Amino acid sequence: FTEMPTDNFVESSFWNFDALFQPQQHPARDQHDTFFLQDPAEAPELPAGYTAKVKKVHSQGGYGSQGYKYEWRLEEARRNLLRTHTTSASARALYRLARQEKFSPVKYFSIDRVFRNESLDATHLAEFHQVEGVVADRGLTLGHLMGILRQFFTKLGTGGTLGGRGTPQGPPLTPLLSPGITQLRFKPAYNPYTEPSMEVFSYHKGLKKWVEVGNSGIFRP
Amino acid sequence: DEEFNELCFEFGLELDEVTSEKDIISKEKGEEKAKGASDTVLYKIDVPANRYDLLCLEGLVRGLQVFKERINLPRYEKIIPAQGEGQRLIITEETVQVRPHAVAAVLRNITFTKERYDSFIDLQEKLHQNICRRRALVAIGTHDLDTISGPFTFTAKAPSEIKFKPLNQSQEYTASQIMDLYRTDSHLRHYLHLIENKPLYPLIYDSNGVVLSMPPIINGDHSKISINTRNVFIECTGTDITKAKIVLDIIVTMFSEYCEKPFSVEAAEVVYPNGKTHIYPELTYRKEKVKPELINKKIGISETPSSLAKLLTRMCLKSHVTGNGNNIEIEIPPTRADIIHACDIVEDAAIAYGYNNIQMTIPKTYTIANQLPLNKLTELLRLDLAAAGFTEALTFALCSQEDIADKLGMDICATKAVRIANPKTAEFQVARTTLLPGLLKTIAANRKMPLPLKLFEISDIVVKDPDTDVGARNYRHFCAVYYNKSPGFEIIHGLLDRVMQLLEVPPNEENGYTIKATEG
Repeated sequence: FTEMPTDNFVESSFWNFDALFQPQQHPARDQHDTFFLQDPAEAPELPAGYTAKVKKVHSQGGYGSQGYKYEWRLEEARRNLLRTHTTSASARALYRLARQEKFSPVKYFSIDRVFRNESLDATHLAEFHQVEGVVADRGLTLGHLMGILRQFFTKLGTGGTLGGRGTPQGPPLTPLLSPGITQLRFKPAYNPYTEPSMEVFSYHKGLKKWVEVGNSGIFRP
Repeated sequence: DEEFNELCFEFGLELDEVTSEKDIISKEKGEEKAKGASDTVLYKIDVPANRYDLLCLEGLVRGLQVFKERINLPRYEKIIPAQGEGQRLIITEETVQVRPHAVAAVLRNITFTKERYDSFIDLQEKLHQNICRRRALVAIGTHDLDTISGPFTFTAKAPSEIKFKPLNQSQEYTASQIMDLYRTDSHLRHYLHLIENKPLYPLIYDSNGVVLSMPPIINGDHSKISINTRNVFIECTGTDITKAKIVLDIIVTMFSEYCEKPFSVEAAEVVYPNGKTHIYPELTYRKEKVKPELINKKIGISETPSSLAKLLTRMCLKSHVTGNGNNIEIEIPPTRADIIHACDIVEDAAIAYGYNNIQMTIPKTYTIANQLPLNKLTELLRLDLAAAGFTEALTFALCSQEDIADKLGMDICATKAVRIANPKTAEFQVARTTLLPGLLKTIAANRKMPLPLKLFEISDIVVKDPDTDVGARNYRHFCAVYYNKSPGFEIIHGLLDRVMQLLEVPPNEENGYTIKATEG
């Protein structure tokens, strides 16, 4: 996997939401969940041709989709924010890939900071890190996605052995430290930009239940 | 319970909690108040945000039964009454300023029981919260048709001209009085702002001038529905016509089950200001053709076309094989507004097959792994700094304005900081332009630790930059702090020299580095 550049905390709504088919009326774009910027408030530059395509797919549909059929506004897409997920960097990377002369299959990853406008408590911070991976190739299937995820979580587990075993009251992060996360189940989920989507669950021996360890999906065409 | 949990997991729902009314009241108000509350088991189920058809018990049960192949998906029928006999909703042009769209339908000869009535009201609330975006996009009103008489008019009037008895009130109020009345109501006060400052408020009344409702705030008391209501007139008004249509379709498909002729809905006519008319509900059944190879390929399974058709039918997408076995025709019912693309159909096929039945494989893509040079350098430096006896800190990227300006003796305008419009607390007003405040705060929080404290951080800071496409950019900064009873400038100087040595930057004026005093 090749690392993607993610060195921009400030992102425009366009890359963070619109290019990812998240409708402008979606609750995640609310004041309550996203940090919008006062200064600089708007992104001065958006890719012209691509913006027109995004507008069309949201409002009328395209590429085989019915679209959302609402009025898509450019001002809304220009609004700057602190990115809520590193998927915006993935979107940029895929855009660059699409503009290449010749398509080459890629595997990208990134681990970086994201920001969500939440009240702080024992399990929630306003800033946290996300691990993200993207694979682009011809003929990929849901089975492939599940296979990669299984390999990823297995390797994640065998790394550290810092006392994850047998503590019944550990915080939900301890599965990552216990030797090998091999018990995985996949559950259908919903993301605005992936379809099919899956939530990945792993069995936490300490808490004796299945906890969600990740989210994934195949990007919508 | 286990079985139901499994079923939910497979279908894509999350069984959040198994509880009962007694438990809920116990937890919130204490055991005393819970005595006498119902012991019946309640399931709290999390429904994905795009499945409006699963928001009420009727829809959920129907969906699960079709999934388990216990029943066939019912066919929803639209009955268009003879000319002149149907209900009409006339929209006037005043509404364009405040709430332009409206749709309507009738549920004829419906039988309510207490549970069905509660479920009916509950569904409206859930739809309001979800697709209607808290009534801003669409507002639903349901009325007892026998207490009113059409044709109905949807218009907008000045607040002073509106006067009616709102739901569950005992007297008439003008619109402005209604605003004041509900200003303290925990439920309704959140919707007042939607029309409060407009010159005209939306209003629906019947041929006798009886007010049905003032959307999106409150319905009239006169036309309220009760358990004995037999005929329901439903209207949805809003600013987004697509969503209004979806909302209407959902309500009528879910509850037409209880009509005398099950799953039949009586259509109503909406007349627009320009004279055009439209029949609602639309209840469109859309047809899509998908190739079975596509579905098999995208998921990574190999099912025959007929078994794929069967899987999709289980997900309420009635399908059959067409052509000479190489195509599947799928009928998308009005309850599945979330199906927008072939990939949605692929997902449903995968869910019916069972995600956990799919074989996991690794793609044969060959790619070369690569670390971003900036991050690689950062990682190497971090190791060497730790070797030099410094401890790494990871601090917040957001801080207060004072942290990067006043407390460092600088002027806020000179910092070119990125400012946040809606911080929850003063601690997150700006994005940091220097790593120093974070490290200093870390030291302040760890004063009790044994001295000396030697901290460093290599992380991003954010500044405004008009040359980037968004107007700001990150820079990777390196900051180190030495805290002890005696100042250790030589320690920091030594660290800097070590870092420059590692980076092969010579200590001279022209092409290397020098140390200068800074502001603040």
